[in-house]
Amino acid sequence: MAKLGWMEKWTLRFAVVALLFLALSGFEGMLMRTQQYDINSLHSMETFLNTLRPGDIEPTTPELYYAMLTAHPIVGIYGFVYMAVFGAFYFLVPYLIKKPVKHPKLVVTNFWLQIIGVMVCWASGFFGLFNALYTLYWPLPVAFDRVPVLGSIFFMLGAAAIMVNILLFSYNIFKTVLSKNGEGSYTVGQFLRAAFGIPRLMKLFGKEDKKAVNMDYNGMPVFVVAVARGSIDTVINAVVLLSAGVLILIYGLFALFGNPLNPLAVDALIFKNVYWWGLDMVADGNALIYTAGVWYLLVPLLTGRELFGANVVKTVIMVDLLVSMGVWSHHLLGDTSQPMWMKLFSGQFITWGEYFTMGLTIFVSLMTIWKARPVKLSPPLKFVLGSMFGFVMGGIAGLIQANVGLNMVFHNTQWVVALHAHTFLLTGVGTMLFSVIYTLVPMLTTLEFKFKKLINWHLWLWLLGSVSMSYAMGMAGSKGMLRRTLYTGGEFTPYTLAAVIGGTILSAGFVVFLVNLVATLGVKNVFSILIPEKWQKKPVIEAETAK
Amino acid sequence: MEKAERRWLYILIVVFVIVNAVTLSTLIPWQSWQLWQKPTPSQVVNVSYDNYVITMDTPVEIKAGEYVQFSATSTDVTYGFGVFRKDNSMVFQMQVLPGRTNEITWKFDETGMYDVRSTEYSGPKHSDMVVRDAIEVR
Repeated sequence: MAKLGWMEKWTLRFAVVALLFLALSGFEGMLMRTQQYDINSLHSMETFLNTLRPGDIEPTTPELYYAMLTAHPIVGIYGFVYMAVFGAFYFLVPYLIKKPVKHPKLVVTNFWLQIIGVMVCWASGFFGLFNALYTLYWPLPVAFDRVPVLGSIFFMLGAAAIMVNILLFSYNIFKTVLSKNGEGSYTVGQFLRAAFGIPRLMKLFGKEDKKAVNMDYNGMPVFVVAVARGSIDTVINAVVLLSAGVLILIYGLFALFGNPLNPLAVDALIFKNVYWWGLDMVADGNALIYTAGVWYLLVPLLTGRELFGANVVKTVIMVDLLVSMGVWSHHLLGDTSQPMWMKLFSGQFITWGEYFTMGLTIFVSLMTIWKARPVKLSPPLKFVLGSMFGFVMGGIAGLIQANVGLNMVFHNTQWVVALHAHTFLLTGVGTMLFSVIYTLVPMLTTLEFKFKKLINWHLWLWLLGSVSMSYAMGMAGSKGMLRRTLYTGGEFTPYTLAAVIGGTILSAGFVVFLVNLVATLGVKNVFSILIPEKWQKKPVIEAETAK
Repeated sequence: MEKAERRWLYILIVVFVIVNAVTLSTLIPWQSWQLWQKPTPSQVVNVSYDNYVITMDTPVEIKAGEYVQFSATSTDVTYGFGVFRKDNSMVFQMQVLPGRTNEITWKFDETGMYDVRSTEYSGPKHSDMVVRDAIEVR
């Protein structure tokens, strides 16, 4: 393996830890699927794990289930997805704009603070039995007769660490793009105007923005424009979630010291609107825009052809940013006190804006591949196509539930979390991140993946497993099976059994990938990536120090 | 914009118009009274939630084909009000937010017994919030 540069090594570190978080999140998911099939299936494990918990508590099976359900998405999204995104973007953005990362120390901070934040949240569930779920519907997270106060406080501290870390990451990315090292330098104003697409809008109306930097028209890679615009959503998301976390933390501290505050002082509907406005930007903002950016980057790279309709996609990314700020009401279609006009416009019609932006994104990506024929279906390209399939499937499911009429029977069912969210995250985002890993590992290490056949096995097991698991639970949802509900009477057994089988196939695909990755890098190298240099007698991989 | 992109955009617009027109129309039966008319309910059923308990006068007797309004309040946290058939499939639902009066009007077409279940997570005892045979439609 080639001698790794400092940034390359940190990128691999982020990737390896992201995969570990994916394994943890997947394991939790399988445990919960198994409990939905048979509520008594994990009693032995529960008894053993209770011996590890402090104090003399004997939590019930539902308490453990809901605590795990609270930690699961934090590990999956902020552990797996964000760690992978941090690593990939920290390498790709400087690589594409030919400037070094502005603050290398922040890269190290981001790595450790994200791990600490995610693990504190996870431990708040495992040890502290925090169970208010990621939705944090007010006033449940401060209803301390149902939610342990210490668990709540630690969960909010962990979440705050994650959000501050995300803000630091976004700051570092923006500072890198704006830095005056190397080619091109931009003021913050110029950069924000370009990120929001103001020059393109002005051009649409026949005016020229004379102060526009050469980054939105033809100078800046589309991927970097997507990262910049997606990061605006990322920042808003982090600020809103951080504010909600601080509010809950204040309630927790007052309760801890014997002066509980009145939970009903905060209006539940207003909290829900503000919280979903910010939270939704993870899914409908940065996930879609970052994904679109990765496709715009990888498809031309892998096919050797210029992106089809490159000018239009920059407008598409800008529209996606605006759309993402107005769609949150699709999470409140079940709230009869939410005004109907907001449900119709914000919840339904603006949500369809994503159908247009993602529809055009997938179209230009497929057209690029079509125009580049004959195309060699390399491993990353296969995974890119697989991820597009995931976004189409999850997107259609999302449009069905984000409908004022149909939501009446789909709201809060397994349809939402399985056929929409898990298809998006596993078949869509997960497969996309694998395409990045299959692209970056040879780029960073000059090593080709050792077992070509295992790449195909990984692809098909992952796709088959994620789709069948999500489809089985989605169909259960269409029959009335609720999400966030532990069924105790085997009401949906055939579906939950099918989901367990699907999850097992998915896990097998992941194991195949890990075997291939470790065989390619070598066991010693994998450990060398994970362990800090100063703890190693003689680093197997020598890394250059950050410049 | 390239010609192929424009054509694809037209296809997307056509699908958007058709799907939204169909799903906002009365082809989805409950849209007629959720969106297009405000029927006067022949009956109002009050439901209250407190400390994981759903309180309502059961069984609520309802005539098939008549409009009934369900009015739910919560004293502590957010719950859900969902009506389910005996095979566990859902008829309809709404969220029950504290500090708000949460109302929904419905017209039952099928006679029979229905269960009521909280459709929103409210704490570890949430799964037990089921009222069997809460509604009887004649």
